[in-house]
Amino acid sequence: MKNTALALVFVAPALLFLLAVLGWPLVQALVFSFQDIGIIGSKGHFVGFANYAEVLGGKHFWFAFGRSVVWVVGNAVVQTVLALGTALILNQKFPGLRVARVWVILTWIVPTVVVVIIWRWLLSTSGGMINPLLMESGIIDRPVGFFATRRSAMVTLILINSWRWFPFTALMMLAGLTRIPGDLYEAARIDGAGARRRFTRITWPLLQPTLIVLGIIGTLLSFNVFDVIWLMTAGGPSEATETLPVLIYETAFKGYRLSEAATISVLTSIILMGFAVFATRAMTASEANR
Amino acid sequence: MTAFRFAAAAGLALTLLAGSAYAEPVTLTWWQMEQPPQRVKRIQELLDQFNKEHPDIQVKQEPQSWGDVYAKAPAAFAAGNGPDLLNSIPDFTTVIKKIGAVVPVDDLVKDLDAKHHFIKATLAPYQYDGHTWAVPAYNMALSMWYRKSMLKEAGLAVPKTWSEWKTAAQKLSGNGKYGIGLPANKQLYTDQTVYSFMVNDGAADIYNDDGSFRFDNPKTVAAYQTYADLQKLSPPDSPSWTWGEAEACFNSKGCGMVLQFTVISSYNAQAEGDAADLGVAAVPHADDEPQSATISYSNGIMITTKDKAKEKAAKVFLSWLLEPEHYGRFLNMEPGLFLPVTEDGAKADSFWNDPVTTKYKTQVETMIENSKAGKLFGFTTGKVFPSIGAISAQNVIAETLQHIVVDGQSAADAVKAGQARMTGIAGK
Repeated sequence: MKNTALALVFVAPALLFLLAVLGWPLVQALVFSFQDIGIIGSKGHFVGFANYAEVLGGKHFWFAFGRSVVWVVGNAVVQTVLALGTALILNQKFPGLRVARVWVILTWIVPTVVVVIIWRWLLSTSGGMINPLLMESGIIDRPVGFFATRRSAMVTLILINSWRWFPFTALMMLAGLTRIPGDLYEAARIDGAGARRRFTRITWPLLQPTLIVLGIIGTLLSFNVFDVIWLMTAGGPSEATETLPVLIYETAFKGYRLSEAATISVLTSIILMGFAVFATRAMTASEANR
Repeated sequence: MTAFRFAAAAGLALTLLAGSAYAEPVTLTWWQMEQPPQRVKRIQELLDQFNKEHPDIQVKQEPQSWGDVYAKAPAAFAAGNGPDLLNSIPDFTTVIKKIGAVVPVDDLVKDLDAKHHFIKATLAPYQYDGHTWAVPAYNMALSMWYRKSMLKEAGLAVPKTWSEWKTAAQKLSGNGKYGIGLPANKQLYTDQTVYSFMVNDGAADIYNDDGSFRFDNPKTVAAYQTYADLQKLSPPDSPSWTWGEAEACFNSKGCGMVLQFTVISSYNAQAEGDAADLGVAAVPHADDEPQSATISYSNGIMITTKDKAKEKAAKVFLSWLLEPEHYGRFLNMEPGLFLPVTEDGAKADSFWNDPVTTKYKTQVETMIENSKAGKLFGFTTGKVFPSIGAISAQNVIAETLQHIVVDGQSAADAVKAGQARMTGIAGK
């Protein structure tokens, strides 16, 4: 009992801080969502659930939600493949390993604005390098606009965001890989297991807890990505990359409908909290069954 | 009695002297949205001079970005931390007016007009609801830029009508070059270029007098159709372009013609810098229209303080800024981009003395001429409706173009959807 009280005393400052910086804005958003505030800073009136009815009854929220799901799944797949490959390579012993481990995180530490400028320039048809490279390789016969069509814009954005974030995932996976005892591989090798079998029977199962945690964190982080999308395409072309965070910003600061934006924020928070609770429980159950 | 009077007078004099000696100067905070370092530097030079000449007034600038200020300024005013002077473009003024933060400047503008003679097109977007809401400070008008040598080589005259323009763009296309660079991004630049087509087909008004929309009409549809036809001759990444990419395409000779406020600065520094070869002309007009018009953005400065002493000081500062000996230096914070809003400013030595402005004098003169036929969507009828702020901020004009260029809709369907979108925004 004494220990519990002491623990609470130690945890209290952090909890209070979290309450102030997370709880208060959430409560504010909830209050705004029941009002009809337009421009930020103006007054609003209580309108009950009218904003919720409008948002849930309209197509914009659902389309943006759909795009967010595509965005999250696309990023998860690309980042997992890139990160797993990188982590497996970095888990080997070879000359220059230390340099490689530092080098790989460079894309992650580059500021978003710089990433956007670099990629916009690389993909540009006026002096960019990607189009000439693809043309010389015979992959395309004339320059293409990577953000000019609905599908190519989303795919390009996912690849750029994954390029930026996969080092973080790779490092997490590398940490998971280093925790797998080496003697397991040794024993498997003695038993005649090949590289593929060692991966499917040892590496993959023992990496599962790390992958599940990364899956939860990655989903939450990806879902909330705003900067890269906004700076690269601002949700275009023709709303093709307008995910929920972009829709919230557009509604609040370009449409001047703060309460409607707050409503979308509240609904997004509920979706993400629901996902986090479900995923955490699934993870706990999975660990209990192991 | 005399001694008493002397003592009283001396006391009063001392009090006044002490008062003036220790009185705090009126400090004005100016949020201006010209962030590039050279512009901040030039503004600071002017402020230092003003502050030195007016010890009782101190003006300090706080550079902001156009991207943030739409959200930041209303929040600052709500929190009581708003600036005393705030740069504006016409649609932003409607936003600040809606929250009651802007002070009318009727008398000041009347005095300044009598003294400096505002170019009418720059003042009109700020005059509605019986008041003037900002002091015009500088103008920007879209023009068509080209290389004289390129047109000559292709045997072309400078296009004046849409038919001539299409022919020119087609002839300039080929061998990895694009005849024209027109954006199709859902962004302000595309709003501007599309509207410059609309005003050249007699479709400048998007509102009726009663606030309903007249966007969906055959003239607008024709303007969009022509734009979409020409846009096919633009680089494939133009649906994601902002101003910079179009300028880069022109400077690298990748695009034969572009619509820009200016290319002078980048052409001078990054391209040939040959003033004799740089061509600028009015945006071509529809074949059945008599003359060209364009989109122009008159940037103004709003007074956003309710404090009478600050309001008075702000008027002193704005009057000082528009004096020809200061005003030209202010405009030349970015030579070849910002155009004068006053007639005496357009003749001021301080404007024409800048080396870049001097080098490109004929181009700048053409830009000033083009700006006189400038219009801005939502501010053409003398009546301004609050929904224009949200319509402009959400780039509905550009969004309508994307439905044609990206989604493959017909111009008629896209314009119809555009009007429905505007009506929806106005209804909220």
